[in-house]
Amino acid sequence: MTTNVPTIEQHPPAPAARKNFWNVSSGFMSWAGTLDHKRIGIMYLIGVSSAFLCGGLFALLVRLHLWEPHGMLFSNETYNQIFTLHGAFMVFIFVIPAIPGSLGNMVLPLMLGAKDVALPRLNLLSFYLWCAGTALAILAIVLGGFDTGWTFYAPYSLYTNKAVVSIGLGIFMLGFSSIFTGLNFIVTTHKLRAPGMTWFRMPLFVWALYATAILQVLATPVLGITVLLVAFERIYNIGIFDPRLGGDPVLFEHFFWFYSHPAVYIMVLPAFGIISELVSVHSRKPLFGYKLIAFSSLAIAIISFLVWGHHMFTSGQSTYALFAFSFLTFFVAIPTAIKEFSWVATVYKGSIALNSPMLYTLAFLIIFAIGGLTGVILGALNVDIHLHDTYFVVAHFHYVMMGSIALAFFAGLHHWWPKMFGVMYDETLAKIAAVTIFIGFNATFIPQFIMGSRGMPRRYATYVPEYAPFHQASTIGAMVLGSGVALMVYYLVASLFQGRKAMENQWGGVTLEWHTPTPPPLENFEEPPIVTTEVYDYSTLDLETMRTPAR
Amino acid sequence: MSAHTNNDGGHAPALGELQMGHHHVSSSRMFVNVLIALLILTALTVGASRIHFGSANMLIAMAIASVKASLVIAFFMHMKWDTAINKIVFLSSFLFLSLLFVFTLADLATRRLDNEMNIVKTPVDKHWVHPQTLHAEKQ
Amino acid sequence: MSHDGHHSVVIPAPGPEFQAHTVAHHFDTPVQEFQAAKLGFWLFLATEILLFGGLFAAYFYFHEMYPETFRVGGQQLDWKLGALNTTVLLVSSWTMAMGVRSAQTSQRKKLLMYCGLTVLGAAMFMVIKIIEYKAKFDHGFLPVFGGLGYDGATGQIAWFKDYGGVMAGVPHGHIFFAIYFTMTAIHGLHVIIGACLILWIMKGAAKGRFHAGYFLPVDLVGLYWHLVDLIWIFLFPLLYLVP
Repeated sequence: MTTNVPTIEQHPPAPAARKNFWNVSSGFMSWAGTLDHKRIGIMYLIGVSSAFLCGGLFALLVRLHLWEPHGMLFSNETYNQIFTLHGAFMVFIFVIPAIPGSLGNMVLPLMLGAKDVALPRLNLLSFYLWCAGTALAILAIVLGGFDTGWTFYAPYSLYTNKAVVSIGLGIFMLGFSSIFTGLNFIVTTHKLRAPGMTWFRMPLFVWALYATAILQVLATPVLGITVLLVAFERIYNIGIFDPRLGGDPVLFEHFFWFYSHPAVYIMVLPAFGIISELVSVHSRKPLFGYKLIAFSSLAIAIISFLVWGHHMFTSGQSTYALFAFSFLTFFVAIPTAIKEFSWVATVYKGSIALNSPMLYTLAFLIIFAIGGLTGVILGALNVDIHLHDTYFVVAHFHYVMMGSIALAFFAGLHHWWPKMFGVMYDETLAKIAAVTIFIGFNATFIPQFIMGSRGMPRRYATYVPEYAPFHQASTIGAMVLGSGVALMVYYLVASLFQGRKAMENQWGGVTLEWHTPTPPPLENFEEPPIVTTEVYDYSTLDLETMRTPAR
Repeated sequence: MSAHTNNDGGHAPALGELQMGHHHVSSSRMFVNVLIALLILTALTVGASRIHFGSANMLIAMAIASVKASLVIAFFMHMKWDTAINKIVFLSSFLFLSLLFVFTLADLATRRLDNEMNIVKTPVDKHWVHPQTLHAEKQ
Repeated sequence: MSHDGHHSVVIPAPGPEFQAHTVAHHFDTPVQEFQAAKLGFWLFLATEILLFGGLFAAYFYFHEMYPETFRVGGQQLDWKLGALNTTVLLVSSWTMAMGVRSAQTSQRKKLLMYCGLTVLGAAMFMVIKIIEYKAKFDHGFLPVFGGLGYDGATGQIAWFKDYGGVMAGVPHGHIFFAIYFTMTAIHGLHVIIGACLILWIMKGAAKGRFHAGYFLPVDLVGLYWHLVDLIWIFLFPLLYLVP
């Protein structure tokens, strides 16, 4: 049994052949007012995917504008708005909510053997808050946009005559959406595990979402108060961040990065969780170092609170603060490296299936190694003095955010697509898209590492002609990347209309979500599962039928 | 949602069978004692603030406030009899908040040391002249 | 939504004046529902601690930066009103705890009484607060109705009028009042929210929803009210006493 994809073409499944969460009820209100985590996950998926495409469009505009040294498309002021929107949409509306909101909501209760999340109405509220925050962001664009960069540093964010308060309110709501999702996942993990599922029998995706949730709950409120204080400053001139009024802009940065550094781990930990699941399933091998990976997620969460000053090395902190933050930053590399080595060790001598989810996963392993290591480079104080605010930083965070997190999101999307929708996409097109994305991504960002190390500053609308070859290479890469993403969108959407029926257990996974019908029924499990085996025990898998007995 | 009876067959289960675990109910006397303690501590705070201990005033005020907070958390909020995870959750929020305090205040406080030791961290120091000015002077 | 074959768990009412409670369908037992809701609420309280904590961080930061401003600014506040408010909140915390106890012991009338007293305490707190704010406004210290904007040429902040000139000798006197106002206003907002939640509890209590078998909402609203009290316990000395 080598291939996972059935070779017989089938027409779309007969309507209402079996009751699942799609057809159990219909109509707008049955979706808008649903308490079912799977439907909420689908709604999130549509939302964040649209946000991703929107943010991606802004990115393509940025890259096109930078084709010429004097800026090809926009005035400097408009360019400032374009890259700010790219950043704000991607960070707040796509990356932070995407994996927990869409794949997490869909899969976490299934993986735990639960009927739903612990607080379903809070889950729906989280989604509504995401919608409201996004709506406010769009309103802010209409009301004049904002040009502060996604980091909206004081004092510029206090002076600029743009819609900072609107977007601030939007971010406040998105923040609470994130907080409530995290709160929900923590309670669900503690209270709704199936009988027999001890903590160390939980899938690693759950561990990852749990560590993420801790960060969401503890760090995000500080962003909330920061945004409120900026709003008060703009409206009332209270004077705490404004240097003209005796305030301190560095205090703003302390508040902002106290959240935003844990935020990058809110973004990446769920991606780590997806990769943990996929390397196991697609090598058909238990995870190497399960406990190490589980604990490293928690370690990363805790250490992430100690390092935020490394975003502020050139802002005017005291020398002692600089030393402390740089020293502490290196520690976060240790649990991260443990994960990377464990994944590679899992794949080693496994029965590797080079299908589309695995292609994205392998791409992640390569790209994240580069992204993570360049992060350590930037954590070195003396080097960062020169690299801060250059394209080196831009390339680093795109390697982790786009090349790692977004790729992991795509990987998870492909992996759980058959489970969610009951259909399979065109595997050949998927492989082509994966390779295109990998090539396009590297072509976009490797030139940025080089020109950044040679001094090209970030957020500049124009540049000296010496950098032109790098910018142009990067832009070409972006076009390739964009076409790969466009192809991916095409075949995924097409599969919803023309896709062949998926197998019950498409990839031979053994975690609980593969023990329930595809797509799952409303109550998730026809019989509440009782867990008796360890989590990645592939010996229970019947390779002929891809079925596992009840755990 | 219609309310079915529990799957016990016919009879309605007694309240005891469906008890939500053992819940500790505090005595009224205990609550009154805590309130009196809180009011005494409040008076103490006000009294201590009238005496000038210098910079220790802040410390004393915060110490007394922490004791009052502990009483409210332990007894009024019932944490003394609550589960371990609830305790960990709430107390860790103070722990992580303290990280914000410590690093931010340490940064501010040690900036003074930088100024005293005349440490320069950026290329812009007392003797640096903008290249434009230099160029203009040369002409 | 139909749940074929799944029976809902019901906690029966202990008496005719009370209502039964149906456990939510995704929970297996009432204990699970209770513990899940409580854990969720403590997590929410943790977020509130961090939200307010940021404001406290700003307080300590500027206290370190401008100690004189905080000393003189604090003297402009009436510590007696502050102490009165502290007493009011502590007593209302006691009445709320007694209210939760009444629900736990199925004493419906006492629950209503204690909740009512707590709301009364909240109202008293807000009245005293408004009196304080009015006094600050009269001195030209309040960033709401004094006008907006900042004049770069004169360095004059529109709302910080300082009629008495008491803050003239200290640097950036407006910062103390900006922090005072931001912290007390957001705290006051939470007092109002808490009072509304307690009124909602009273509505349910009148119908007999809360009793020894099911007092979860009373418990959770009580926790929220104690949090409001907790924050004031730290606000009072920092703003009114230490300076």
